[in-house]
Amino acid sequence: MINSDLQALITTLEMAALTTIILLIIGTPLAWYLAKMTSRSKVIIEAIVALPLVLPPTVLGFYLLIAFSPEYLPGQLWQQTTGQQLAFSFSAIVIGSVLYSLPFVVQPLQKAFEQLGDSLLEAGALLNAGPIDRFFSIVLPLTKASFITAATLGFAHTVGEFGIILMIGGNIPGETRVLSIALFDHVEAFDYTRAHILSIGLLIGSLIILAAIYWLNLPKRAGTKTTLIGKAN
Amino acid sequence: MNNNPPQLNIDISLSYSQFNLVINQAIPLTGITGIFGHSASGKSTLLRAISGLEKSVFGNISLGKIKLVCTEQKVYLKPEARHVGLVFQNSRLFDHLTVLGNLEYAVKRCKNNQLFIDDIIELTKLKTLLNNHINELSGGQQQRVALARAILAEPNLLLLDEPLSALDQQSKTQLLTMMLAIQKQLNLPILYVSHSLDELQQVCDNLLVMAQGKVKEFGNIHQVIHNLNHQLGDDLIAQQTSLSLPITKLCDGYGLTTLTLQDKQKIYLEYDASFKDKINNGELRCFILASDVSVTLTEPTNSSIVNHLCGTINAIKQNNNKVLLTVNCGEQNFYVAISAFSQQKLALIVQQQIYLQFKASAVRTFIH
Repeated sequence: MINSDLQALITTLEMAALTTIILLIIGTPLAWYLAKMTSRSKVIIEAIVALPLVLPPTVLGFYLLIAFSPEYLPGQLWQQTTGQQLAFSFSAIVIGSVLYSLPFVVQPLQKAFEQLGDSLLEAGALLNAGPIDRFFSIVLPLTKASFITAATLGFAHTVGEFGIILMIGGNIPGETRVLSIALFDHVEAFDYTRAHILSIGLLIGSLIILAAIYWLNLPKRAGTKTTLIGKAN
Repeated sequence: MNNNPPQLNIDISLSYSQFNLVINQAIPLTGITGIFGHSASGKSTLLRAISGLEKSVFGNISLGKIKLVCTEQKVYLKPEARHVGLVFQNSRLFDHLTVLGNLEYAVKRCKNNQLFIDDIIELTKLKTLLNNHINELSGGQQQRVALARAILAEPNLLLLDEPLSALDQQSKTQLLTMMLAIQKQLNLPILYVSHSLDELQQVCDNLLVMAQGKVKEFGNIHQVIHNLNHQLGDDLIAQQTSLSLPITKLCDGYGLTTLTLQDKQKIYLEYDASFKDKINNGELRCFILASDVSVTLTEPTNSSIVNHLCGTINAIKQNNNKVLLTVNCGEQNFYVAISAFSQQKLALIVQQQIYLQFKASAVRTFIH
């Protein structure tokens, strides 16, 4: 039985790590675009990105469940490409997590890019640095703390997911059974001892992660200060 | 065969909601060209257009033979491809890097690598600051780092956008001296934007005056400054005679330095030890405020005022109770501001011969 919790922990960490990597890859250009966009229509994209902050996870889970099913195009395309069903798979919970944790990565990065402004990038361009060079030599070092904050928040929020995973992943050991689902199982089975162990573990783990973020955001000599946003989960 | 020096050719227009910039001007790529004008006259916008930071530009900009912008041919070089350096009013240094890190940032991205970083560090006096963080530097030191960093990128043209405006007089003087030395040693053409005519007078060869997005004047620095004397009611413009004269003699004991005007007349200014290097070696840039010069009808031989020049009144321009005289001494025009009362008392008229007098301390220069 302990092995099943360990398995759930491994699945959770795999899901959270993969989700965080994907979020950083797609969240960075999206945050950059939003930070630099001057058109008023950007509020629509910002609202879409922020939706998971206010929407019950089950709503997003419900629509994703429909989209992932073989009757609908995304599910069909996935099945044709991979030969596997998308719903109730590890891939499904990663996709769901990416969408659900998007604001936790995009918002701190967007704020950091906005605070950074254009002046240093202009200075870099006039020293012959191209756009990619400028990103790695100026933007990344100056917004490092925000990247760590975004990655940590994205990771921690993914670890804490429940509703959306239950909707689109179900409870398949080694595939979609993550810690929050395992905890729910223990409570349903009145196995409060193991529920306590998982709860305390998640509680302390989350506390350490959040304390680390606040520590990173303490005012320092250099670097961009970011603020925590979003709701606790 | 065209022996003219290469030029920066600008023929552009751009407009914002309440501002239009229309410039059609060729600027020789030699020495330092000043750009003078009030706030919102378009000075900084022009520099941003030349450097590629202003994207909504229509027309043509070419630097020598290189086309930077040609709207017709859909040419628009990105800033990083223009080889144009820009030092901003705020230094825009990278504060995640040390002073040396900022300089190396430019060196690493420079394709020519003809300059030695140590030479530029020496020239900008940064040797003792190399390991400092940016926020440990004073404003003047930061601008020196910004200047050195811009030079190390080895641009074909260096733009300076009011780099001294936030500095104290001592730092200004130091940086202006440095700019002159850099320009001479590296033979780097510089466009220098400022709203301080004093600064521009001290370092520039040519001056471009802008107002409301257009070029109002362009030409030799002294000539343009003299033309500005007739622009009335402008707080930024102090009416003056602007000169470049050779130093011919130093009299430490008398506290005087002798300049020679057109090989004939002597002009005295206060002694300064730093003039020693300049005797018979180049010219001293100096100016005499029109309000510091007075007029007599006979030669003032018994006066403590050391400078007195004989001249003929070329023009008299009255504005309310003030009068500006243009007085020709040899081939040099001098400008004198007197009251309408004095003009009437002396019954001054055009073509009249008069004597100008001004103290040695009225001959001003703040960089040597």
